[in-house]
Amino acid sequence: MRADLRRRSVLAAAGAAVPLLAAGCKGVGGLGTLPRPRPDVAVLRAAIGTEQALIARYRSALAASPGLKDTLDPVLDQHLAHLAALRSRLIGPAATPHPARTSPPAASTLGALAAAEQAAAGALVSQLATASPSLAQLLASISASEASHAALLRMHRSTS
Amino acid sequence: MSGPADAVTRGALQSVLAAVDAASYGYGVAGAHLPAARRPAAQRDWAELQVARDGLVSMLASRGVPAPAARDAYRLPFPVHNAAAAISLAGYLQNRLAAAYLRVVALDDPALRAWGARQAQACAVRATGWLDRTVAFPGLSARAAGPVPEGSATDVSARPSASP
Repeated sequence: MRADLRRRSVLAAAGAAVPLLAAGCKGVGGLGTLPRPRPDVAVLRAAIGTEQALIARYRSALAASPGLKDTLDPVLDQHLAHLAALRSRLIGPAATPHPARTSPPAASTLGALAAAEQAAAGALVSQLATASPSLAQLLASISASEASHAALLRMHRSTS
Repeated sequence: MSGPADAVTRGALQSVLAAVDAASYGYGVAGAHLPAARRPAAQRDWAELQVARDGLVSMLASRGVPAPAARDAYRLPFPVHNAAAAISLAGYLQNRLAAAYLRVVALDDPALRAWGARQAQACAVRATGWLDRTVAFPGLSARAAGPVPEGSATDVSARPSASP
């Protein structure tokens, strides 16, 4: 008897819960769409992945050609600064290491590095539309830095 | 053509124009001290500044804004009495110009953003041609490269050290 009562009250409560749930759903709907990751997060993750890939290329090139140290070390340092600036804007778990999309080539010539820089600079410009204003400025500045890296590497290739 | 967003756009374009005019003046000073081998590069940059000015005047005109005339003189960031200082000045001016273009990148219009970013790239490439080195954040101060409140573009505004 007592068990039956309890079951009935549970059923009643469940029955009562249905309209409540329905109202709750409406209530959530009334508040707007559920929070989604801001566009900046996707843009940041892509930019972080590109920086990580470039850093890997420079480390590989330095290991293969220590004679390029004077040219490549300052550029590598600037990429590390880019990575730190991008990561500082990503609240939450750090980005997972970039998958070896392009395994660092054994011999990264200055020309190949310049081409990679130019491609990275162009890719960043295509990401600006959805970024917040301050992130867009950071991405554009990094893009300008990478375009200048490409120019520097080409200058040094032609003089070496 | 009179909303707050339009006013911000006009302000950003006017900042670029002011930086272009300041750079044109600066190249005039630098040119007098540059070695002959570097003068063609300075003349090329100066010609590009005039093309940029024409473009900006058109962009402002299409928004119903008359372009202000360039000032007669601008305060230089440091004394320029020799070739080394002249080369430094050319690199400095390009970085200031990049800073002005980054104001355009903070606007809402995606086409203007991309345009500003490409111009900032060109400034950084020209600065590297002069200085034979690169920087991590052309046009941004080190502080501005870190986290900043959204919309705080004041750190990268171009103030061309204009003298009255």
